[in-house]
Amino acid sequence: MTQDPSIAVASGPTIAAGLEEVDILVGIPSFNNARTIGHVVRAVEAGLHKYFPGRRSILVNSDGGSTDGTADVVREASADLDSILLDSRVGGFRKLVAPYHGVPGKGSAFRTVFDIARELKAKACAVVDSDLRSITPEWIELLVKPVLEEGYDYVSPLYARHKYDGTITNSIVYPLTRTLYGKRIRQPIGGDFGFSGRLASFYLEKDVWQSDVARFGIDIWMTTTALANGFRICQSYLGAKIHDAKDPGADLSAMLHQVVGSVFDLMEEYAPVWKGVAGSKPVETYGFVYSVGLEPIHVNVDRMIEMFRLGVKDLGPFYESFLPPDVLSFLADLGRADRKDFAYADAAWVRTIMSFALACHAKTVSREHIIKSLTPLYLGRVASFVLETWDCTADEVERRLEDLCLAFEREKGYLVERWNP
Amino acid sequence: MNSPIDKVIIEPLREVARKLVAFLPSLLTGLVVFAAGLLLAWLIKLLVIRILKLFKLDAAFSRTGVTEALQKMTVKDTPAKLIGRTFFWLVTFIFFILALKVMKVPVIDQLLEKLLLFLPNIFIALLILAIGWLLGNFLGRTALIASVNSGVKLAGQVSQGVKGLIMVFAFVMAFEQLGIGRQTMIAAFAIAFGGAVLALALAFGLGGKDLARKYLEKRFKRNGEEAEPDDLKHI
Repeated sequence: MTQDPSIAVASGPTIAAGLEEVDILVGIPSFNNARTIGHVVRAVEAGLHKYFPGRRSILVNSDGGSTDGTADVVREASADLDSILLDSRVGGFRKLVAPYHGVPGKGSAFRTVFDIARELKAKACAVVDSDLRSITPEWIELLVKPVLEEGYDYVSPLYARHKYDGTITNSIVYPLTRTLYGKRIRQPIGGDFGFSGRLASFYLEKDVWQSDVARFGIDIWMTTTALANGFRICQSYLGAKIHDAKDPGADLSAMLHQVVGSVFDLMEEYAPVWKGVAGSKPVETYGFVYSVGLEPIHVNVDRMIEMFRLGVKDLGPFYESFLPPDVLSFLADLGRADRKDFAYADAAWVRTIMSFALACHAKTVSREHIIKSLTPLYLGRVASFVLETWDCTADEVERRLEDLCLAFEREKGYLVERWNP
Repeated sequence: MNSPIDKVIIEPLREVARKLVAFLPSLLTGLVVFAAGLLLAWLIKLLVIRILKLFKLDAAFSRTGVTEALQKMTVKDTPAKLIGRTFFWLVTFIFFILALKVMKVPVIDQLLEKLLLFLPNIFIALLILAIGWLLGNFLGRTALIASVNSGVKLAGQVSQGVKGLIMVFAFVMAFEQLGIGRQTMIAAFAIAFGGAVLALALAFGLGGKDLARKYLEKRFKRNGEEAEPDDLKHI
């Protein structure tokens, strides 16, 4: 079998040695994604041919040692350009399968992508997940064009999601990131991003590649690093995001620990930046926005309330070691409330999250214990939110989230005052 | 010629007085050594507390749950003060022994010799207990949070069980170090531990067979096979 000259398999420190410089680089991190990566590769290839004809581009598959033939699928996948009414392949498109080294995780895979982007002097880059089922060629245009033609350094994704999808993002990560850094990035941990070659080089200079960032915290790290260092940011509306269930073995408290822990870690690093920020501003948004249907989903609110009550009862003495009296008193009252009166008010939730952030900063108790003990309170908040918005449309829910964000912004002084008293 | 009264009462009294006078310089030296020891112990205590505060030891102990555990045991001192106080009593004890040595009393000398030979064992046993206590508190809290997050209704009891088990281990090891009922302690522990496991197995198997079945079904059933799947996506 003859090897396609447009496909390279690389390894070693100078991964892209011998390859030509490129204008666009699209990275796909993978680990045993043979089932889904073919579609992603085809969408990327079609997107590059359709929207960037004449540009030199490369697709980089940064693989973590898959054993299910992921690399073979990447090599063999090829877009059917006739079906999208494209006559011929113009410009230089290449594929590179590059196994990554170091700490296993998405962050290490991205590091390899950044490395290659720097070596090939890529002007614009994008990274997309390898398990996406809803990616279309338009995603590549929306993630790359703002960088290539509008001069942005970072393009955050904006998805059409069900009103109860991404509850950690909606109730903690988005409001907190927006309040801290003053920019309304709706999906800071979206997973698919566009960025400039300049920003890729900046990421590489950071000494984080042996930390949790290399394992699981890369998404929020990329967004926050871009925000806190003054890079030009916009967001692109990509439509629905449908992908394989992420790590079904991971439990909620581990997820919270990873995501919230990463946000709190970054608060430490960028305290001088966020302390001086007041209010928030919207960022430029590209793409054609549309609503998705609200198919009914099953949410076990009673179970969540039960978990909340159990947490308040058994973890009460532990909470006393770091939560302020007003929050403790609120939790005790809510723990006794019936389902019909169960309402975790925005102000109390904001105070809760800020108190957890302050406790992690003060290091008075084990950080892992603090964050994992947030799980029952988070479930209580989600239960309360679901009860309150059960009959609301997606737009109404979005407005409710706006109220929550404003509550976070109003309370920022509380956080700043207590950070370094 | 000595009268019987002199022989029976006066002579022994004179002898006692003579010995007391001869012992007096040693006693005074001993007291001076002890007083100096007290002063030194007090200074060392202050120094230790200052150094520990400089290294922010209280915050570090809070993280591992030591402060919380101390408060539960109604110990009002901070860990730094507690360690300082321990140093105070250690130095005081050393100077107390020195003072006794200076007094040169044969019986006390013999007792001291035995005590000094046994002292390292006491120290190691105390260290084992302290480590067991710290570990018990930390792992107890870890078990508590994990149990609550898994929805275990007896989370508090699980936590206490973990803490208690670790303390029992620590006590057995400490007693073994001290050589107290070495064989008896190990046998008692093995019997108690084995008995507890057997009792739990029986209770779970007989009394909670439905619960066990549900638990195993839930544990080993694949996603999607559960009775009431929750469609909520947290991320």
